[in-house]
Amino acid sequence: MIGVISYLAFFGTVAAILAIAVLGLNLQWGNTGLFNGGVAAFFGAGAYGAMMLGGPADPQQLGGFALPYPIAFAGGIGLAALVAWAVGLLTLRLRHDYLAIATFGVAVALEAVARNAEWLTGGAKGMRGFPRPFEGLFADQFTYNLAFLGFVVIILIAVYAGLERLVRSPYGRVLRAIREDEVAARALGKNATRLRLEAFVLGSAIIGVAGVLYVSFYAFISPQDMAPILTFQIWAMLIVGGAGNNRGAVLGAFLIWGAWTSSGFLLSKFAPTAVQIYTGPIQYIMIGSVIVGMLLWRPQGLLPERIERTKTGNEAPGENASQG
Amino acid sequence: MKTRYLRQLAVAAALTVGGAGVAAADCPVKVGVALPTSVDWGKPIAETALWVTDMINEAGGVDGCPVETILRDTQVDAKVGVDAAKAMVDLDKVQLMMGAVSSGVTLPILTSVTVPAGVMQISCCSSSTRITGLAEEGSTKGLWFRTFATSNVQSAVLTKLAKDAGYGKVTVFYKNDDWGQDMASLLDNALKASGVEVAASIAITDNQPSYRAEVTEALGGNPDAVILALYPKEGIAVTREWISLGGTTKMVGANSLRSEEFRDAVGMQYLGDFIGADTSSPRTASASAFVEAYKAKFGGEPSGPGLPNSFDAAAISLLAYHAAGKDATGAEIAAKVPMVTDPSGVPVDANVEGFKKAMALLSEGKPVSFQGGTGAVTFDANGDVSAPAVSWVFTESGIDEKQYIPLEEVNAFIQSLN
Amino acid sequence: MIQNLMDGILTGSIISLGAIGLTMVMHMLRFANFAYAELLAIGAYAALVFDRLFAALVPLTDQTFGGLSLTWSLTLATLAAMAVTGASAVLIDWAIFKRIREKADALSMVFASFGVALIIRNVITLIFGLKAELYSNDIAFAMVLSRDPLLLIKPDQIFVLAAALVLMAIFHLVLSRTTFGFALRAVAENPALAQVAGVPLARMVIVVWLIGGAFSAAAGVFYALTNHLSPLIGHNFLLPVFAATIVGGIGSVYGALLGGFIVGTASGLALQIMPSGYIPAMPFLIILAVLLVRPHGLFGEPQT
Repeated sequence: MIGVISYLAFFGTVAAILAIAVLGLNLQWGNTGLFNGGVAAFFGAGAYGAMMLGGPADPQQLGGFALPYPIAFAGGIGLAALVAWAVGLLTLRLRHDYLAIATFGVAVALEAVARNAEWLTGGAKGMRGFPRPFEGLFADQFTYNLAFLGFVVIILIAVYAGLERLVRSPYGRVLRAIREDEVAARALGKNATRLRLEAFVLGSAIIGVAGVLYVSFYAFISPQDMAPILTFQIWAMLIVGGAGNNRGAVLGAFLIWGAWTSSGFLLSKFAPTAVQIYTGPIQYIMIGSVIVGMLLWRPQGLLPERIERTKTGNEAPGENASQG
Repeated sequence: MKTRYLRQLAVAAALTVGGAGVAAADCPVKVGVALPTSVDWGKPIAETALWVTDMINEAGGVDGCPVETILRDTQVDAKVGVDAAKAMVDLDKVQLMMGAVSSGVTLPILTSVTVPAGVMQISCCSSSTRITGLAEEGSTKGLWFRTFATSNVQSAVLTKLAKDAGYGKVTVFYKNDDWGQDMASLLDNALKASGVEVAASIAITDNQPSYRAEVTEALGGNPDAVILALYPKEGIAVTREWISLGGTTKMVGANSLRSEEFRDAVGMQYLGDFIGADTSSPRTASASAFVEAYKAKFGGEPSGPGLPNSFDAAAISLLAYHAAGKDATGAEIAAKVPMVTDPSGVPVDANVEGFKKAMALLSEGKPVSFQGGTGAVTFDANGDVSAPAVSWVFTESGIDEKQYIPLEEVNAFIQSLN
Repeated sequence: MIQNLMDGILTGSIISLGAIGLTMVMHMLRFANFAYAELLAIGAYAALVFDRLFAALVPLTDQTFGGLSLTWSLTLATLAAMAVTGASAVLIDWAIFKRIREKADALSMVFASFGVALIIRNVITLIFGLKAELYSNDIAFAMVLSRDPLLLIKPDQIFVLAAALVLMAIFHLVLSRTTFGFALRAVAENPALAQVAGVPLARMVIVVWLIGGAFSAAAGVFYALTNHLSPLIGHNFLLPVFAATIVGGIGSVYGALLGGFIVGTASGLALQIMPSGYIPAMPFLIILAVLLVRPHGLFGEPQT
């Protein structure tokens, strides 16, 4: 039983970390309509930022200042936000698909920096030895993992609650207005450019939080952790869960990560040995099929966006809005 | 099937917290294998590991218990690999984990899964010097082994071969990953220290549309020879491009290129001057048992990076498991590894007969010297393979080992570089 | 330097071929199709199968000509592969994208294309394995054009460049001289207006997929001829082909052509200014540079 709990705690921690990233993306895409194709870049910025500030010193590279955890935490978020701000200034005026590709390119470029700038990031072999927070307080790994799960879940709830408040506020309504009809929003005197940038930076900072938690948990980060597949995973979670709906985002994260890991688990259990060697490609085909199937049969996601009726009742029809 | 799962569930439920020696006493013995089967070079490595378990089972199994491997694809994604390892350790209660390949996955599995759970981990193919650092700190608790030489040894051997061949100026092509970068900086130091000029050191990033620019750049340096620290896929692309543009056929290659795929795609007519480096020792009489057995099984030479290493990792760890008994914990298995790789032990071959002999001897408490795919392997205190070196060449019929360089000589050469 | 420029032009011709179809598809169907580059892989592998088939059926065709590593059977195989890839593109559109188009917006399509790319790549992996395949194991030597500065070119490269230019020229003639070409351009430039003018949109979508598939197949074969085949060909060309399309301006066929050459040469010259490890980021830097100056690409029109 302990084994099952231990594994589930581990699974839950990773899923909750990913759920935070999905919430960040949901603010950008689901609520503001910004197509961020470079989620991995901001996740990586958060993780590397925290590692450089909080990690142990390494004579071969800059960074490793071994600063206290809260500073490393804030630094990771700060780096993610800073990168997002710079990227946003350059790319946010592009239309959707250009923005998707430009941000995808940002992720490729940042991965190249992480992989090649050995003096800064340790290069392809990554950086290790991040001091895991409060580890000294716990007697064994098992209880520590449970406590860490609690820590991550608390942050997840905080982010969720904050975003729920935000999207229900007038500010959230303006963001949705920009998503639906930017010209109309401008006509009402809203500074759409600035609001888009704010939403982009805030969403990326939340994705950065996920990156910080990731490096806190594994105590290790390498360029492999910011491969484009991460962007794909986070997007899959949002699409399946339901863009525009924060509950959907969290649900999607747990479902997709569950499907991703359990497909490997089930294949290793039930597939004949001769087939096992092919499980890698088979697993990818299954994942691809789930995504495509979902978009074919339920493009609005499992939990579609709920449009709240305002007093005038003149807002965009729910059908369109739910596509978010 | 159903009853088995019910029983497992019952066993799992019966287990209590924090225990050493909690391994399920039931047969079969479960062993975790976390390898990137969805990557070109990962699949044959996994096939080799599975093949060893078949042979061990044919030879009677671990301590009379058949071995059941649980193979999980790491997808070269740390999240996926760590999750897979965690599931195998927590749910299947494995005490032995084979894997992974790239250090970006191996290292987090080691630090967040196997070491905390007291599970032994053995990798065929991780070469990062970062892990040696981890072991020196004591963070691996003696649970970590690898059958792949560290980049330090590999680069020294490549340097020695280049120097002995009389090359005064070389260009290095390296795979732009953790292994390649490690190799590149170590090669740079080693070559310069031994008086060989490095014309250029060029990173080859995976999966690029074309390597023509990189090759053209290298051509400009006009080197006597090139050193290739690449895997077969990029190796083929770069070498073909290099030769077609008129580059020299004088090449020194890392053990990752010891592959028929590479030989066939480049062509023997251009590989006459190719010298390969590897870590291996002269075999006992029956010696190429591994190669023979491999040919019989897969219908071709062991081809691709890490296959003999994967064979040895699986064989040594399973023999150690046998010696420790089917109920052993990871630490107990790890403690038996020296008994399998004892240079003064009875030599045993890498085939079913050899495994039978080894198991009988180990059961009597007698040490053996396993003669594996990379020769008689031994490990140092950090779990790194202590490896004598060998140079090899391609021939029409396969791959021949030319010159064995004893361990003392390798170490002396490494010393001379500092 | 000149060598890099020349090699860049050759790589650029392959990228251009890939980008021609993409720019039309992106413009007509209004979504960034991340599965598009996988058509290169389908084409290259289809040609491999046909090549082996033809060479086995009619051994005479398995002969090279004109100093190239190209054989007659491979030439025929390339044509067959172009047809097969065009058909696959239509089939994929019919089975997946068309259905999603009907019920969801363009951005669901973008995402669906990620999934489709994953499926195609791994199906190819399952069938052919991950190891590098070659049409011919022989290595074609480069000819020395000049000794100082050293300039080298391979016969295959000249052939590829010539073949690509011929394909582009034919396409140009079709676009500029035939009613069908006008209809195609009309649809590519303004689908809604073209429909009003009586151009059957559904049929044009099929035609565009056929053309795009055929050109991608040619690009895939040309690439594999001068390099090698791997299931990751499509993935490797994704960013360069997108960059070419965006640099040229989405919807502009000529822009895509030029864009391909720009991306190819820039990547070739990149080594002059940055270490080789950073080259993968080069296409992206070009995208960014162009979009900053011209937000709709060199020849693109603001889309409504």
